[in-house]
Amino acid sequence: MRSLARSGSIVTVVDASTIDTGQRRRRRPSGEPPPLPHEFNRAAYAWLVAFVGFSALWVWIFLSDRPAIAITEWDLALMRPIVDLRTDWLDPTMQWLTAFATHWLNPLIGWPTLVAALWFRRIRHSLLLIASLSLVNGTVNLVAARILRPRPLGFEIIGDWEGFAQPSRTIANLTALAVGATLTLVPLTHRRTAYVVTAVVVVVVGFAMLYTAVLHPTDIVAGATVGIAFTLVLFRALAPESVFPITYDGRKTAHLDVDGARGEAIRLGLARQLDIDAVDVRHVGLEGSAGSTPLRIEAVDGVLYFGKLYARSHLRSDRSYKLWRTLVYGRLEDEQHFTSVRRLIQHEHYMLHLMAESGVPVCKPVGIVEITPDREYLLVTEFVNGGVEIGEIDIGDELIDEGLGVVETMWAAGLAHRDIKPANLMVEDGHLRVIDVGFGQIRPSPWRQAVDLANMMLVLALGSSPEQVYGRARERFSDDELGEAFAASKGVTLPSALRRSLRQDGRELLGRFRELAPARRPVSIQRWSLRRVGLTLWVVVVAVAIASMFISSLGDVGLR
Amino acid sequence: MRVVRHGVLAAVLVAVGFTGCSVEQTLPPPHCEQSGSGLIVAQSVPTASQLPCLTDLPAGWSFATVRINEHHSTITMDSDRAGEGAAVLRFEDSCDVSGAASVPSELPPAERYDAIEQVRPSFRAERFYVFEGGCVFWTFDFDKGVSATESVAIGDSLALVSRAELQQSVSESFLDEEI
Repeated sequence: MRSLARSGSIVTVVDASTIDTGQRRRRRPSGEPPPLPHEFNRAAYAWLVAFVGFSALWVWIFLSDRPAIAITEWDLALMRPIVDLRTDWLDPTMQWLTAFATHWLNPLIGWPTLVAALWFRRIRHSLLLIASLSLVNGTVNLVAARILRPRPLGFEIIGDWEGFAQPSRTIANLTALAVGATLTLVPLTHRRTAYVVTAVVVVVVGFAMLYTAVLHPTDIVAGATVGIAFTLVLFRALAPESVFPITYDGRKTAHLDVDGARGEAIRLGLARQLDIDAVDVRHVGLEGSAGSTPLRIEAVDGVLYFGKLYARSHLRSDRSYKLWRTLVYGRLEDEQHFTSVRRLIQHEHYMLHLMAESGVPVCKPVGIVEITPDREYLLVTEFVNGGVEIGEIDIGDELIDEGLGVVETMWAAGLAHRDIKPANLMVEDGHLRVIDVGFGQIRPSPWRQAVDLANMMLVLALGSSPEQVYGRARERFSDDELGEAFAASKGVTLPSALRRSLRQDGRELLGRFRELAPARRPVSIQRWSLRRVGLTLWVVVVAVAIASMFISSLGDVGLR
Repeated sequence: MRVVRHGVLAAVLVAVGFTGCSVEQTLPPPHCEQSGSGLIVAQSVPTASQLPCLTDLPAGWSFATVRINEHHSTITMDSDRAGEGAAVLRFEDSCDVSGAASVPSELPPAERYDAIEQVRPSFRAERFYVFEGGCVFWTFDFDKGVSATESVAIGDSLALVSRAELQQSVSESFLDEEI
C-alpha cells in the first residue's frame, strides 16, 4: 500500500492483491478484531496506574513514618551527587531555572495555550485544560497537607520554593500544562516531538530543582505523575482525537483522514463485508458536506461507489445541530438526536431505501461497512458518475419538473428531505439525483414539507428564473400550497449553503417568489413549549456557569 | 462509552468541588503539639535559633491562610469579632524595630517590642519577638470598636521552640540530618 497527496486531498492507493480475497462476505468470528479496533490508550492508563501506585504509597506514609524514612534516605542518597556538583558559576543558572519554573512557567505556557485554544474555537479543550489544572492543584493540596513532606534535609536550599515538597506543584503544573497544550494545539502527527520537548524541559527543570535542593527525586516523579495522569485521562475521555481532531489544514473537523490505518480498515471492511476490492479511496465533495466524510471509492473492476463515513464526531455535530434547531425553531423542529453512530447510519440507510421505494431518485444503497463497532461506519451507495451539481448548470423545464416532482413524491409518501441545497441535487445524464438523505424525516410537520418545496424552487431558480419555476410549479401545486411554502420560508429555514448560493446569485429570488405567490400570513416557526423554555434556560444557565467557572478558575490555577 | 464519559465528567465536577481547586497550598499551621508544618517553617528561615508554633486558638479565631516559602512564613487569622485578616503572624530572618518600644517579653529568650499605631476607633499595632537569627511579629488590624484585649488573647497562642530542640526530635524520630 502507498499513500500520496494529490490536489490537496489525500489519496490512498492499495494493492488489491494484499486483500484476502478468499474470505469474502464472511461473518467476523467472535474474538477477531474489527477492521479498525478501538484504540486502547496505553499511555493514559499507564500514567493512571502510576498515580494509583503513588496514592497507595501516600496512604502508607500517612499511616506510618517507616516508608517515609526509607524513601527519604534513598532520595537524599540519589540527590547528593547532584548537590555536590555545585559551583559558583553554575549556581546562578540553576537558581534562575528554579525561580523561572516556580513563578513564570505556568502563565508562560498557560496563557498562550488558552488564547490559542479560544482563537481556534476549541472551547472544550480550553475548559479541559482549566479543569485538569484545577484537579492537579487540588490533588497536590490534598496529598501535600496529609503527608507533610519537608524540603530536603541536610542540604543548604539555594532555590525558590513554597509549601511542602511532595508532590511537587511546580512539576505537576508544568507537566499538566505541557500535556494539555500538546493535546489542545499540536496535531497528532507532531505529538511525539512535543512530548519529547516536554520530557527535556521536565528533566532540565527537575535537575535544577535537585541541584538547588528544593525537591527530592520522588517529589519530581510524583508531581509529573499527578500532572500527566489527570490531564491525559481527562483529555482522552472527554476530548478524544477521533471526535475532536486537532488540524490546521482548513478542512472541517467532520472530515476524517482516510489514509493510514483508517484507509486500510476501509478497504479491508469493503472487501470482507461488501465484496468490493477498493483500489482507490479518496475524499470527494468536501465543500458541500459538513456532517460526514464523503468518499469516492474505486473498485478494482473500475466500478465507482460513493461512501459516507460516519464517526462519533458526526454524532456530536448532529446533537449540537438538533439542540440549536430546537432552541431556534421550537416545537416544529422538536426532535431527538441520535444516541449512537450505528443508529445514525441505520437511519440514513433506511431513508435511502424508503425514498428509493417511494420513487425519489436517490442513489441506490449498496450496504454498510463496520469500521469500528459503535464508533465508525461507512454507508456505501452507487456513485453519481459524471454528475454535476445542479448549481453549476443552466436549468430547463425538464429539470425543473423533475425537481418539483421530487417534492411532490416526498409529500405523497409522507417524507421530507430537510436539506435541499445545490450540493445535494446532482444532475446525471440530464436527470436529477437526490443525495444526502441523512436529515430525512418520516411524517414531518406540514411546515417542514412546505419548506422543502420553497428550498427546491429556490435551488431551481438559481439556474433559471423565479417566473419559470413558479409557472411550472403551478402545474403541480395549488396556489395555497405555493403561498404556504414561501410563507414558511425565511432566512433561518434555508440551509447555509443555499443561503450562500442565493447571496452569490445577487437576485432577490425569495422576494420575487413571495410576490408571485398568493399573499399569506407568514407561518410562525417560533413555537414555544415547556420543553423549549426549559431547554433554553438550561443552556443559558450551563453557559453562564461554565463561563464564570472558567474565569474564576484562572486565578485558582495561577493564571490570573 | 457514554456512561464512562458521563462518569468521568461527574467525577471531575465532584473532585473540583471537593478539592477546592486552589493553587494556594492549604498548609496546616505549625502546631506546638501536633505534626504540621513545623519542619518547613524551620526551613523557611534557616538562620533562626527559635521557631514559632501555635497552640489552640482562642474562641472566635480561625486560620485563614498559611504561606511558607524560602523567605518567610506568614499565617493570617480571622476573627468573628475583630474581622477578616485581623491578625497576621510573620516569621522572618530580621525585623525593623525602630520606633517600637521595648517591653518585658513573655517568650524568652526573645526580646519583645511593641509599636501601637492607634487604639481608637480601631486597634492597629505591631508586636515583635526578636531572637538570634530571626524574628516573629504580629500585625493587628481590628475592626472598629473591637477591644485591644483581643490581641492579648490571640497573642497568647504563640509559643517558641528552639531549633536545637526540633533538630533533636527530628534526629530521633525521622532522620539524622540537619534541618
